[in-house]
Amino acid sequence: MSLIGPKLLRRLEQFQLLVQRRSKTSQLGERRSRSRGLSVEFADHRNYALGDDLRYLDWNLYGRLDRLFLKLYEEERELPVHIFLDSSESMIYGTPSKFDFGRQVAAAVGYVGLCGFDRVTVRSFPGRDEDRPYLGALRSVRGKRSAMSFFQALGKLRAGGAASFNESLKTCAREARQIGMAIVLSDFLDPQGYEEGLMALVSRGFQVTCVQILASEEVEPSRYGDLKLVDSETGMEQEITFGKYRLKAYQQTVSNYCQRVKEYCASRGIHYFRTSSETPLEELLLKQLRSSGIWG
Amino acid sequence: MVIVFYLLKRKRTVHVVPSTVLWQRFLAESQANAPFQKLKHNWLLVLQILLLFFAVFALTRPFFQGDLKEAAGLKIVIMDASASMQTEVDGQSRFARALEEADNLVSTLTDRDQMVIVYAGAATEVKQSPTHEKSSLRRALFELEPADTPTRLTEALRLAESLSQNRSDAEIHLFSDGAVGDLSEFESKGLNLKFHQVGEPTGNLGITTLDARTHPENPQLRAIFASVANYSEMPVQAGVELLFEGESKDVQMIDIPPGGVTPFVFSVEQERDGVFTVRINRDDGLAVDNEASVVSVLPRPIKALLVTAGNRFLEKAIRAAPQLQLAVANDVNTTETKPDIVILDGVVPSEWPANNVLSFRSAAPEWFDGVGTAEIPAIVDWRGTHSLLRFVNFEGVAIAESLSVKAPAWSVSLADSPKASLILAGERGRQRIVWVGFDTLQSNWPRSISFPIFISNVVDWLNPATANAGLLTVRAGSAFRMPLAKKAESVRVTDPSGKTVSLVLDEEGAEIVYGDTGQQGVYTLDIDGQKTAFAVNLLDESESDLTPRDIIKLGDYAAVEASAGIKGNREVWRWLAFAMFTVLLYEWWYYHKRTA
Repeated sequence: MSLIGPKLLRRLEQFQLLVQRRSKTSQLGERRSRSRGLSVEFADHRNYALGDDLRYLDWNLYGRLDRLFLKLYEEERELPVHIFLDSSESMIYGTPSKFDFGRQVAAAVGYVGLCGFDRVTVRSFPGRDEDRPYLGALRSVRGKRSAMSFFQALGKLRAGGAASFNESLKTCAREARQIGMAIVLSDFLDPQGYEEGLMALVSRGFQVTCVQILASEEVEPSRYGDLKLVDSETGMEQEITFGKYRLKAYQQTVSNYCQRVKEYCASRGIHYFRTSSETPLEELLLKQLRSSGIWG
Repeated sequence: MVIVFYLLKRKRTVHVVPSTVLWQRFLAESQANAPFQKLKHNWLLVLQILLLFFAVFALTRPFFQGDLKEAAGLKIVIMDASASMQTEVDGQSRFARALEEADNLVSTLTDRDQMVIVYAGAATEVKQSPTHEKSSLRRALFELEPADTPTRLTEALRLAESLSQNRSDAEIHLFSDGAVGDLSEFESKGLNLKFHQVGEPTGNLGITTLDARTHPENPQLRAIFASVANYSEMPVQAGVELLFEGESKDVQMIDIPPGGVTPFVFSVEQERDGVFTVRINRDDGLAVDNEASVVSVLPRPIKALLVTAGNRFLEKAIRAAPQLQLAVANDVNTTETKPDIVILDGVVPSEWPANNVLSFRSAAPEWFDGVGTAEIPAIVDWRGTHSLLRFVNFEGVAIAESLSVKAPAWSVSLADSPKASLILAGERGRQRIVWVGFDTLQSNWPRSISFPIFISNVVDWLNPATANAGLLTVRAGSAFRMPLAKKAESVRVTDPSGKTVSLVLDEEGAEIVYGDTGQQGVYTLDIDGQKTAFAVNLLDESESDLTPRDIIKLGDYAAVEASAGIKGNREVWRWLAFAMFTVLLYEWWYYHKRTA
């Protein structure tokens, strides 16, 4: 399956993920960091100490001040990009499915990261045993050359099973060795909530971006009458009498829910986007994410 | 009901959704997951309740008091509730059919009409006084039930006549099968009578007579005389069973020709007083007349006192009567024992006896208004149907001289001369009196075979035990009366259905009167703990003949023909109300279907 068309890939190659904080990783890369090292970007001076490399002495200053100063340069480190992809049962729904849409977004973000020499990791939750063979190609991938295998592995992931959003994100936050950018792709419809998971990422120092993907059926249900709704993940049943006359009230409920997620994210410095699985990919990638400064 | 529909939960379609989180939040806001949802303000509900309220209000047939522009028409409905109306064809009785037709007539009433419902059953009653309220009329109609009694239409017609007096617009509607017996006593005075005939011709067997007497040939046996009439066009063979106190005693197969009557006699031994029941073991149109009971009391010896100056013929005739102890005296007070009956043979006693009396040419002053004499009176007419004149013939009887009286109210005349009554019989107070106006020795009657028969009949009739036994069998609808020897403290009657009522006796407590004899069968009488039975029977030929009559004769000249079905406005509001209710339900369903 082709996740993203070549035309869109060419457009994405022009972007680079914009990170607000300086990279704290130990691996060298192309991102500015607080560390001092070798690069072309001047950072500061410091007094000469015995043993320092004489090549970095600022001879102009020595000429003016008759004192030895060493020129310091910023070290460029890599940016870890963690993409958290919700692959629970609930993501199967929608046309196209929310999971497919999520994979496309993950592929796009990952491709932008790979093109920018960032270290891209995709973590799908729940971790299904069937997906285990492909996870290697999705861990710590770097460089544009890896893009093909990255796309192939992403394309082979399947959704299914019940996932605990909070537990999954908390585990991922704990296990992540390098912190950096975190993109969370989910419908945020876990009965246990989403707050703790997001909080774990934020606490760990991730720069978090949430993309809430909803199916159009969830926003505008087409089934009316006396219904017994069964939760696809938990199997929980819910009886309801629903008619067109209650559609507005329902949409208001959905809007309120999304607004609460948005407010929660805003209060913790998390970028939040709400999209439908039917939204054209270009609309989200080239307009919304770009205008929000996720990449540029 | 509408509210219940709103409260009821409905069958739900199972639908798998990605997550119920959003729905739970939605429900939390609208609270719809309880078994009964909270009644929300809904204009549809308000409108439906309003609609229902108006519909129910309309069904109560509201009205207001107002002046009627025209005089009201009066319809008097007479419902024949006699036994023959119980005849069932295809599961529907004639009475039920009559009720349906009367109900149709009620439907034709306008606001200005009035209707009266007269029940002609065991008693004639006005069941509903004049009204135009159809609900009241229908309630009165459908509370009626047919009785086991003969038709008493004369009283009902007289009542209707009095109700329609001075009402030129009055109509009398008679709902009957036409089996109404003899209405010759009722003279129609231009009544606007409409006869609605119900019923189809139905074959029927019915017991028309029943009596229990000492066997004429063998005094040790009891003879149960009965006759069964066949009111069908086919000869019928039927088994007739005799029961004594519910125990089968004998069965006879009898053949009854079409339209004929077959009399038959059961001869059985009877050791104690009890009830004989004769039953036809065959199903036919009318069940009531297939069974009849008679209370049979064993004859007891009676004491008779003959007060005479000497009359061998008479004495011999009296002594011929069975179970009789005769004393002969010159006056009533000369014997010590109190006789059951006294025979006065041309003697004026010193004290008029209070017991039953056969008097020849002697009369107490209070018996008659005036007493004259007649020379050589010829017997021109006699009442052969009276039990006293059974097998008695006055042909060839010549009388030299007789007292002649005008029959007083308490008596019936048994034999008449052209100018006066010669033999009278009747009950004066509780005293039975047979009065013969002439001296038998001044006639050739003692030489005739009819004389000892007459004396035997008289002794039988005057016998207090026989008289009481006769009281113990009454026709359905007639009051049961029984004089009491002494005052009773409590009297209770249990009818055949098991219902017991206590009778309120008058101050003297000397007579029992029980009028609720609309049900055929054996009634039990409990007088201060002593139990006796009396039987109520239909025994009516005109009721057993189930052939519907198209013409009812009134009096000597008038007759009324069965009219065709009633034409009138049949109300359709029930269907309309039902349709409205259906529309209401459909609308409710459709509303939910559309919005669901």
